[in-house]
Amino acid sequence: MEKRYKVVIIGGGPAGLAAAAECARLNVKNMLIEREPVLGGILKQCIHDGFGIIRFGEKLSGPEYAERYIDMLTAGTDVRLSEFVTGIKKIERGFELTSVSPCGVKITETDTIVLATGCRERTSRQVGITGDFPAGVFTAGTAQYYTNVLGKRVGKKAVILGSGDIGLIMARRLTLEGTEVKAVYEIKPTPSGLNRNIQQCLNDFNIPLILGHTVTRLFGKKRLEAVEVSAVDGRLNPIGRPERVECDTLILSVGLIPENEIAEKLGVELSPATKGALVDQSMMTSVPGVFACGNALHVNDLADYVSESAVTAAAAAAVFDYERPELTDVEYSDNMLYLVPQRLDGKRAAENTIFYFRSRGDISECRLTVTDNGREIFKRSYMALRPPEMERVVLKGAVRGRLKFTLDEKSGGGEK
Amino acid sequence: MPSVAKTQAIISKVYPQIRVSERRGCVRLEGTLDRWEDIVEAGRMAVDRKRWHGVLNDITLKDYEEPPISAPAERDTSLENADVDVLIIGAGVIGCAVARELSKWKLKVLLADKESDVAMHASSRNDGVVHPCIDVKMRSAKMTYGRAGNRMFDGVCKDLGVSFERCGQYVFTDKWWVVAASPIYILKALICKIPNAGYAWGKKLRALEPHVDPKYKVAIKFGSAGIVCPYGLTIAYAENAVANGARLSLNTIVEGMELTGERITRVFTNRGAFRPRVVVNCAGTYSDKVAEMANDRFFTVHPRRGTNLIFDTKERRSNSALGVALSDASKSAHTKGGGVIKTVDGNMLVGPDAHETPDREDVGTYAESIDAVIAKHSKLVPQMKRGQIITYFTGVRAPVYEEDFIVSSGKFTKNIVHAAGIQSPGLTAAPAIALGIERLVLGVLGGKIDKNESFNPKREPIPATRGMDVGERGEYIKKNPDFGEIVCRCEEISKGEIIAALNAPFVVPTVDAVKRRARAGMGRCQGAFCSPNVMKIISETCKIPLDGVTKSGSGSEILCGDIKPAEGKR
Repeated sequence: MEKRYKVVIIGGGPAGLAAAAECARLNVKNMLIEREPVLGGILKQCIHDGFGIIRFGEKLSGPEYAERYIDMLTAGTDVRLSEFVTGIKKIERGFELTSVSPCGVKITETDTIVLATGCRERTSRQVGITGDFPAGVFTAGTAQYYTNVLGKRVGKKAVILGSGDIGLIMARRLTLEGTEVKAVYEIKPTPSGLNRNIQQCLNDFNIPLILGHTVTRLFGKKRLEAVEVSAVDGRLNPIGRPERVECDTLILSVGLIPENEIAEKLGVELSPATKGALVDQSMMTSVPGVFACGNALHVNDLADYVSESAVTAAAAAAVFDYERPELTDVEYSDNMLYLVPQRLDGKRAAENTIFYFRSRGDISECRLTVTDNGREIFKRSYMALRPPEMERVVLKGAVRGRLKFTLDEKSGGGEK
Repeated sequence: MPSVAKTQAIISKVYPQIRVSERRGCVRLEGTLDRWEDIVEAGRMAVDRKRWHGVLNDITLKDYEEPPISAPAERDTSLENADVDVLIIGAGVIGCAVARELSKWKLKVLLADKESDVAMHASSRNDGVVHPCIDVKMRSAKMTYGRAGNRMFDGVCKDLGVSFERCGQYVFTDKWWVVAASPIYILKALICKIPNAGYAWGKKLRALEPHVDPKYKVAIKFGSAGIVCPYGLTIAYAENAVANGARLSLNTIVEGMELTGERITRVFTNRGAFRPRVVVNCAGTYSDKVAEMANDRFFTVHPRRGTNLIFDTKERRSNSALGVALSDASKSAHTKGGGVIKTVDGNMLVGPDAHETPDREDVGTYAESIDAVIAKHSKLVPQMKRGQIITYFTGVRAPVYEEDFIVSSGKFTKNIVHAAGIQSPGLTAAPAIALGIERLVLGVLGGKIDKNESFNPKREPIPATRGMDVGERGEYIKKNPDFGEIVCRCEEISKGEIIAALNAPFVVPTVDAVKRRARAGMGRCQGAFCSPNVMKIISETCKIPLDGVTKSGSGSEILCGDIKPAEGKR
C-alpha cells in the first residue's frame, strides 16, 4: 500500500499539469498519473503556436506550454509515468486506485480525484462512412502524431473531412510536408474551427473549404484510392449525385468525445450536452471528492481554458472536506448549446465564479444576461457568437442563489 | 432427356431466354439476364437434389464483368517443387480446422491462402454464434455437421485456448399464433436431439434480458447455442496446425492445375508449382472456381453479403444471442433474421442482413444495410443507441444453390475433396466438417498412414492481463515488465500481449493481425491512439522498418516515408 494522497490527478496533459502545478502552489500532497512515458498529452504533438496567450500572455507552441507547467511542479507532486489506471473503488472518505505500470500493480489511496483524461477523436465509423476499410484513413490527431512526433508522412494526396481546428491545422501541416490537400469538406453550412485557423491554415495556402458536403464512402481494398463526396440537405442527409475524389489519404476532424470511462465507473453523472461530467462551480462531479476538468469535462477551444478549469478543480480538491453540498441547477436559455458548470453549490461561494458556454448556432448581435434569484448581476453584448468559439464569463462576488443565463438575440440575428 | 425437359419447362415459364442442359449429371443453365436476383432465382428453380449432382448456373449478368480476384502482389519460388501430400486451398475456419486435424498424421500439409492472414473473409466477418441448428433442414449435411460441431465446441475451444460461452439463444415473439405453433420447434429439437430447448417467459425472462421490449413476452430458448470469437477460433486452429507441423503459406494464390486423366498432378501458384497428392477445396466464395480448375465443378456459389454492427462495450443490451421469431423477420427465405448478440469480448453485435451479390468479395458496407439492421433489431431492443456503434463489417457467405454443405470427394476428379457451400451454421459445423474432410482425405490417400506421435492438441492462448486479479497480474509484470505497459487504452492491452501475438507459431506482422490476436485497436477509439505504438512494436519485434508495416499486407502501407528534412545546414 502506498501512502495516502490528498489529490490524485489522472492525466498529464494541459489539464492535469495545471492541476498538479496548482497543488504544488498550495503545497498539497498530490500524485499525477500519466499513461504515456512523457508528460504533456496532446501538447507534445502540437508544434504550431497559439498556446498560452491567455495564461502566459505570449504565444507558445504546445511543447513549450507543457514545459511551463512542468517547471512549476515541485517535490510535492509524485509524477507517475507509463502508468495506467485500471480501477477505482470508493472507500471511507476517499478512493482506492489500482494502476498498472511496468513496475507492477499499485494500489493508491487518496482523498480526492481530479479527472483530467482529455478526449478522443470520433472515427470514420462513428460518422457513418461506409464502403471499404483500407489503410490511409486517419483521425487528424493520429496523423498529427505520425507527422510531428514520428516524423513520417501519412500520404501524398489527402482529403480532409471536418473543419475542426485539428483538421485545419493538419491541412496546413500536410501541405508544408508536400502532401497535396485537395479540399477540406465540412458537413455543416458553417465552419467548425476558429476563424484564425481558417485564415492561417486554409486561405493562406489556397486550400478550398467546401461547406455542406461530407464523405460518404471509401474506395480501396488495400490503401485508400478515392472517397465519395456528397452534398447534404438541411438535416445533414446526403442528397444529389455523389462525386468521386481520388486521394490516398483521408484525414478526419469530425469531433472530439470527452473520455469519461473512469468517471462512468465511479458513477459520475454525465451531461448529454457536453458528454462530460455535470459539475458545480468548483468542478466537483456528482460523486463527492471526484472533480473533472479540461477536455474531459467539455471540449474547449483553447488549451488555456483547459488549464484554467483544472486550476479551479485542483484548488477545490486541495481543501475538500466532505461537507454536503447544497446544489442548485444553473438555468440557461435554449439558444445556448451548453453551460459549464451546470450546478452551483451554495456552500462554496467563491470570489469569482467562471462559466464557459457555447451558442447553439451562429448568432449575430446578442446580449447575455445573468440573474441571481431574478436580480440581474451580469450583462454583456456580443457582436457575434459561433459554436466553435467557446465563451467565458466571470461572475465576480459570491453567487449563491438561483442563477439564470439568458441569451437575447436581436431581431434578424442568425439561425436557430 | 425428360428431367432436363422438366427443368427447362419450369424455368422457361419465367425466363424463356435461359437454356437448360445436362452436363455430367449436373443441370446447367446458360443465357443472359438483366438482374442478378433473376439469375439467382433461376438457379434456385433448377435445384433437384434427387436428379442432379448440382446446379451449374452459367447465366451471365448483362453489362457486368466479374471483378478480378484480389490477388497477392508477391511472386517468388518459395513453393516450387514443394513436397506436399495435402494442399488445402483457403485458410478460413474450415481450411484451418482441416489442417489441424490432418496434422495428427504424418503428412506434409500445406495450407495456402491468397490473403495476408487467415480468416480474412467469411470466417472473420460473421456473428460468432454457435447455432443450436434448430432452423436447418432435418436430413441435411447442415444438420449432420452442425449438430455434431455444436457438441464438439466445449472440447475444441478448451484445447485451443479460445473463449467460448454457451449463453443460449432466445427467439422472441409477440404473436400468439407463433407461440401456438412453437411446439413444432420443441418437437423438432427432440427428434434432432438438440438439447435444452424450452420456453422462457415472465419475470425470469425479463431478468435475463432486461433490454428486450416488454411486448415480447415469450421466448423459445435453445440452451445449446453459444458464442465464440470466429477469427480467434480460426487463428487458434491454424496456430495449432502449424505447431504440429503443417505449413502455412499466406499471400499464396492457386492459379491453375494440371490434370492427367482423373487426377490433379500439378498445382500452379504465384510462389511456384508442386505436386500434391490430394487437394482440399476450402476456398469459400471461390470454391466453384477451384472445382472448375480441378475439372470437378458440380455446384455453383452465389455470394450473399451480410453486414454486422459492433457497439461499444458500454452499450451491451444482450446477455446471449437474441432473435425474433421468423414471422416477424424479413421475408427473404435465406435471411434467418440475425440477432442481437453478446460477443465473447463483451460488445453487442447486431446483424447480419442478407443480399445476393455477383461480387464474390463484396465486403464494402452500404449505409442501407446499416439502416436496415438497426431498424429491424431495434424493434426487439428499442434502447439501442446508434451513436454507440464503434464499427461495422460486411462478409460474403458462400452458399450453393442447393443451400446445403458439400463435404465430399470429387465427382469426376479422384484426388480432390470439397468443403463447399459453407454458410451458417458453418462456424458451428467447422469442427465436425474438419473431421469429415480428414476421413475423406485419408480415404483418397489410401494405404497406411502413420500417426504424428508428437501431435499436441493444446494451444496456449495469449495471456489476457486485463481480466487477472491484482496478484496474478503483478506476477506477470514482475516476470515481464512489458505486461505492465498498456498500449491499447480502450481494451487495456499491454505491450506484452502484442509481443506474444508476434511470437505465435506463425506470425503475421500487420496492424490488423495484431488487432485480431491481441485486441489492440478493437475498442472505441478504433486504434486512433494505439496504432502508432502497435506499428512501432511490430517494427521492433519483427525487424521491419516502420514504413514497411502495413494494415493488412502489401499494398496497405500506412506511412509513406519521412517528412521533409530540416532545411539549411547549421
